[in-house]
Amino acid sequence: MFRTLITLGFLACTSLTWADTLTLGASVQLTGPVANTGRYYKDAYEFAVERINASGGITVGGVHHTLALKLLDNQSDVNLSVRQYVQLLSEDKVNLLLGPFASNFVLADSAISEKFQVPMVQGGGASDQIYSRGYRYIFGTLPPASNYFGTTIDTLLKLTPKPSRIALLYADDAFDVSVAQGARAQLSQAGFQTVIDERYTSNTSDFTSLLSRIKSSAVEVVLVAGHETEALNFIRQAKSLSVSPKLYAFTVGVPSADFRQALGNDANYAGGMTAWLPSKSLKDAWFGDAEQFARAYQAKYGYEPDYHAASGVATVEALVRAIEAANSLDPKKVRDALAQVNFPSLYGQISFGATGQISLPQTMIQVQNGKVVAIYGPGGFLGKLQYPMPAWGKR
Amino acid sequence: MTSPARIVLIALVGVPLLVAVPWIGTPVVVQFGINMLLMATLAQGWNIIGGYTGYSSFGNSVFFGLGAYGVGIAMAQFDQPFWAGLGLGLLLAVGFALVIGLPVLRLKGHYFAIATLGLAEVVTAIVSNIPIAGQNVGLVLPLLKSDVLFYELALGLLLLSTLVVFWLSRSRFGLGLIAIRENEEAAAAMGVCTTRYKILAFMLSAALTSLAGGINAYYITFIDPAGAFDITLNVKMIIMAVFGGPGTVLGPVAGALLLSLVSEILSSKVTNIAGFFFGAVIIAAVVLMPRGLSDLIRQFRGTGWRYFLQNIRDHRL
Repeated sequence: MFRTLITLGFLACTSLTWADTLTLGASVQLTGPVANTGRYYKDAYEFAVERINASGGITVGGVHHTLALKLLDNQSDVNLSVRQYVQLLSEDKVNLLLGPFASNFVLADSAISEKFQVPMVQGGGASDQIYSRGYRYIFGTLPPASNYFGTTIDTLLKLTPKPSRIALLYADDAFDVSVAQGARAQLSQAGFQTVIDERYTSNTSDFTSLLSRIKSSAVEVVLVAGHETEALNFIRQAKSLSVSPKLYAFTVGVPSADFRQALGNDANYAGGMTAWLPSKSLKDAWFGDAEQFARAYQAKYGYEPDYHAASGVATVEALVRAIEAANSLDPKKVRDALAQVNFPSLYGQISFGATGQISLPQTMIQVQNGKVVAIYGPGGFLGKLQYPMPAWGKR
Repeated sequence: MTSPARIVLIALVGVPLLVAVPWIGTPVVVQFGINMLLMATLAQGWNIIGGYTGYSSFGNSVFFGLGAYGVGIAMAQFDQPFWAGLGLGLLLAVGFALVIGLPVLRLKGHYFAIATLGLAEVVTAIVSNIPIAGQNVGLVLPLLKSDVLFYELALGLLLLSTLVVFWLSRSRFGLGLIAIRENEEAAAAMGVCTTRYKILAFMLSAALTSLAGGINAYYITFIDPAGAFDITLNVKMIIMAVFGGPGTVLGPVAGALLLSLVSEILSSKVTNIAGFFFGAVIIAAVVLMPRGLSDLIRQFRGTGWRYFLQNIRDHRL
């Protein structure tokens, strides 16, 4: 009798702790070639879960829950990440899913969330293909690749004198090809003349022939969709060939501190974009605002958060908001609630379109005297663009 | 017991058990099974050209990718059924093996390895520029919610490849390949038409590898050039085939099973430093048993633990 009571007691305890924990699962690149960006997601997920628990966790159906996180390392291997998501859902019994980094991973892993009908909110893949398949259980907080240059083109339209001759250069990977497709259409719609429209091999280190063409065809504005090292090489070689268009703008690199450090003064006047800036105006229920978040993150992990980290935190917050709204842990109800969420966060206003993707405009930025300055946002100009940039000899 | 009798016995016990896995195993076991069986098929496919013929091919990941693109193009661009895609991939891969085999199979040893190593890069660049293959953006395939089908397909393909290799080990054709591996000039002198034999072996290897690629593409639902022609996959097949015992019927299968299992347990239990442990296992295997599992099993009964010492001594490590 006594033994039965003890067993019952244990059972009650375990079932209580079970009911009190809500587990989010993710398989992230912690080792392998893309681990450098994968760490943003690990840190962001852990930070968000910690902060949400510290401010009281979450209440579902009148029962108080704390969040738990189950993270696995997919070693930058797509096949392994697919298996790990199956493991998370079928063996570890996590309640809901957070995403991996990079579009190709999301494309493969979203098939698992669709098969198991458990929603995945991911902040690591921006490719338009993820949302072109009609999946119902995938939601994303990165804006569509095809609209990356949207704000930059809006900025160009407001300039006096308005530039007319544009060069569009893009790397030959899936993401940058999508960026260029979108930009090409927007440029022609806005009435610009795209005099150079050229694809280059990813990780190329030689831009000299492209730069010579830019110089000889009197290009005024150069738009480059590529990777950080390519942006660095482009600017270094532009200097050595003394090619100075009125403006150049890059999809990546410009917001990061490494970029400015690597180029020193030559980083000045480089235009870029970011989906996120740690500004006070982005209010957040758990972190106060984006500026406070960035400070706390830097103090905790020893490096500056960028939009990957902010987007990762936003995915956790979106799931929490949806669970609260659904007042249930049933994946299907949470899914329906996700489609309806609309709340301000440190990352921006979070709400998902019909396909599950967020629509968040980029902010155009420029490096001015070694600092990143916001130039143009959805509401108009935020700062003054230094335009045209001075020739290399006159800096 | 003679070797064929043992193989038949293993098959009689093992195959029904493997077929039943989707009904007795958890979803994770089924997922793991699909990846493992496909990996074993790749190792077995490599075994034909690398193990039996003695040509260390680094081009097998190209066949895998062509198989994947066959399925991708047929299903995503032309709305054809999966089977048609497998056929298209098979044709692409076998045709490619024939065309490319003619020049590269004239090379030997390291030169052959390096020439085939270049193939993956070249084909990646070509496919990235073909609009029908989705260029760099890749192709998205429809979702099929039946993992049982993928599992049984992968199992069937592995059985087929093992039967092919079993036939090879006992046929005139297979003996010709072994003769080429041991001494190509002598084989030619004895009347083996070496060029034809080598190209047929390359095409056979390509056929099995491309089918595995096709199944994998439909299972993953997405292919892009970087993922489809991934050279590390080729390295994996070689490691698994060599670990198990190249030039044997069951060696590559056992190697793939054991190494996949070790890698899977490491990656789900000690998730962060799994790569490190896996590397240690490979190094230990190369040092202690360079001729593979099947040689270990054969010799261990006679020599016992001295087998490992003997290997270290023989290879002056």
